[in-house]
Amino acid sequence: MAGPDAPTVIFIGQPNCGKSTLFNSIAGLKAETSNFPGTTVKHTHSRVSIEGRLLDIIDLPGTYSLCPSDPAEKTALSHLFSEKPDLIINVVDASVLGRSLEFTLELIELGWPMVVALNMMDLAEKKGIKIDPGKLASLLGVPVVPIIASRGRGVKELLDEAFKALEHAGRPGPRTWSRDVESRVEELAGLLPQEFPLVANRRFTAVKMIEADRLFCDTMLGDLEPVLKAEVDRIRLGIESGRSAPAYEIISAERHHQALKIAEESSRVERGRKVPWDRKVDDVIMHPFYGYVILAAVFMAFFFLIFKIGNPLETLLLKPFTSLDQDLGRRLGSNVLFHLADGLVQGIGGGVAIVLPYFVPLLFFMAFLEDLGYLARAGFLLDAFMHHIGLHGKSVGPFILGFGCNVPAIVSTRILESRRDRIITSLLIPFIPCSARTTVILALVAFYLGPWTALGFYALNILLVAVLGRVLSLFTKAPSPGLILEIPTLKRPSFKNILKKTYFQLRSFLAFAWPLLIAGSVFLSLLQAFHVDRTINAALSPLIAGALGLPRELGVTLVFGFLRKELSLIMMLQALGTGQQGLLTVITKEQLLIFTVFVSFFIPCLSTFAMLWKELGRKVAFLSAGLSVSIAILLAWLIRIVV
Amino acid sequence: MFDVDKKNIPGREDLGYYAGARNMRTKGMSLVEAPIDKPLRIVDIAGGESVRRRLLAIGFHKGDVVELDSAAILKGPILVRSSVSGMRIALGRGIARKITVEVLDGRP
Repeated sequence: MAGPDAPTVIFIGQPNCGKSTLFNSIAGLKAETSNFPGTTVKHTHSRVSIEGRLLDIIDLPGTYSLCPSDPAEKTALSHLFSEKPDLIINVVDASVLGRSLEFTLELIELGWPMVVALNMMDLAEKKGIKIDPGKLASLLGVPVVPIIASRGRGVKELLDEAFKALEHAGRPGPRTWSRDVESRVEELAGLLPQEFPLVANRRFTAVKMIEADRLFCDTMLGDLEPVLKAEVDRIRLGIESGRSAPAYEIISAERHHQALKIAEESSRVERGRKVPWDRKVDDVIMHPFYGYVILAAVFMAFFFLIFKIGNPLETLLLKPFTSLDQDLGRRLGSNVLFHLADGLVQGIGGGVAIVLPYFVPLLFFMAFLEDLGYLARAGFLLDAFMHHIGLHGKSVGPFILGFGCNVPAIVSTRILESRRDRIITSLLIPFIPCSARTTVILALVAFYLGPWTALGFYALNILLVAVLGRVLSLFTKAPSPGLILEIPTLKRPSFKNILKKTYFQLRSFLAFAWPLLIAGSVFLSLLQAFHVDRTINAALSPLIAGALGLPRELGVTLVFGFLRKELSLIMMLQALGTGQQGLLTVITKEQLLIFTVFVSFFIPCLSTFAMLWKELGRKVAFLSAGLSVSIAILLAWLIRIVV
Repeated sequence: MFDVDKKNIPGREDLGYYAGARNMRTKGMSLVEAPIDKPLRIVDIAGGESVRRRLLAIGFHKGDVVELDSAAILKGPILVRSSVSGMRIALGRGIARKITVEVLDGRP
């Protein structure tokens, strides 16, 4: 980034501690937040000016410890170490203080200037936890600022404290551990050669050498410093022999007990006699039986609510565009100018009347469920189902993101520890109807064929994902490592947060997809004007007309479908040369269904394809494309036979 | 790699954390078989290093007192709440089976 040097401030915390919410209230609309662990998978850089002072602030993906265990955590840590921040702001979830402080203690070991943002104070209070921030600060040896990020409270005080810490640049000292462990850590720290590439400081480097992943640390060290490696092994063994447990477990236990002790000393827990409301609610929504009933009900409500809102709006908004189009036809005849105007009207009209009425409510309800914390619960409920398809519940996160957009969903598969799970999940994601496709399913299938057909289509889609997952898992031998998923506390959704999120998502549609839709429509119009579409249609005719029994004019829309899937469906009207009202006069209901099925699956859209390539390599990207094409042809053909 | 002695958890007494609770111990069982809504102490976490590391990082340690909130039908995950930090996690059956707990009759 250009401009004068600004101090670097890193936001770090455990997943779901409200880091992104805090970051957003400082940096504006940058990172996506949700009540689901592991939303921030890419880190976000922002240069902000606060009261005339520049800061370079970085939001890192949530991480449980400084010993990374999944690829997302590895990214977080490599950034932490490479950025060498001037200040760490450690965001702590006050409602699970004892657990969160383990990570805080580990960060303090770095010896870098640090401020603790004690977030979710409101939630902690609701749970009956009273924390004394002053006491906590003196126990930790770093400033502690209580905040409620979702309501923007305490943020100013936090920034003041951050500036103060930047000026003083005070370095916190680590707390020492039990004698038997501490003495050995010190021994190793002393043994490190002068020129050894230290991370942060001697003690921290020594600790990490002892507790870090054996494979990773040892292979590196074994090649470079055989003598030192032998020393590390000896010291590790020394620690282990005293307590007969692996060294990483012993060190982790040291932090664990210190953290609990600090939490105990700085907070008072008033356990009420009555069960808190959110536990009562949770007992129902995560109930072994009612939980699933509610999950199904939530999904149905989600679907019908969007349809009920979108349907009248679509009818209402289509009218002016249809009449405008007819008007243009009467005035301009069928010259190039008409085609140009026609394409423009179709493109703009498609966005306004077909996409927006469904897309906006969809984004809104999705954000609502996420903010509430329902998605993690859905993950819990679906874990059994996922196991049957060879995946574990952690894949639910990426899948649910996939209902929004497939592209970030593929990025988020980084939260999965094993490559096997990543590949299977990523191959399945393109089959999940993203918000754009859902919109089209609602706007075309539900609009013309009724909401139940659309729901059936959705059910078929999910069934397909299950069957495919089962089949794919047969080809990979390694078993799934199993689910370990934190269930965040249910939150009262913040209306502001939901609106922000809806707007954020909508903005990317307006900025990217809609212009593409308009350009595509105009381009298709021009192709029609010069009769180029006939060549493409003729080339694709064996597939479209032959195998699927569809009007051959639809062939050209497939080309656009590769750019974005919903383009094919919206442009279907244009390709068939009919207005929205006259659609069923040129195409039967069965044909409409076959076409929707085919287009929905036939190939991952360009952005998804590119992301697959980037994240998992060329082989997976092409495998995904091949899989999609085969499935699309098979399914469409099956439907043709059945109906 | 490490055979854990189920009767004696090394390090526990040193830390003075759960002293006095030992005589309330009943026999160990896996988390899957444990009763719901009763205080349980984790006596052993078996399984691969990566799983153990993840559990440690998320805040579940040997010696911790936890409670089982609910179990899902079929081969679904179970819901565990840590009595020390109040945090809850969902654990897949496979992992839950590898965690040995003992029922505490009273709170330590």
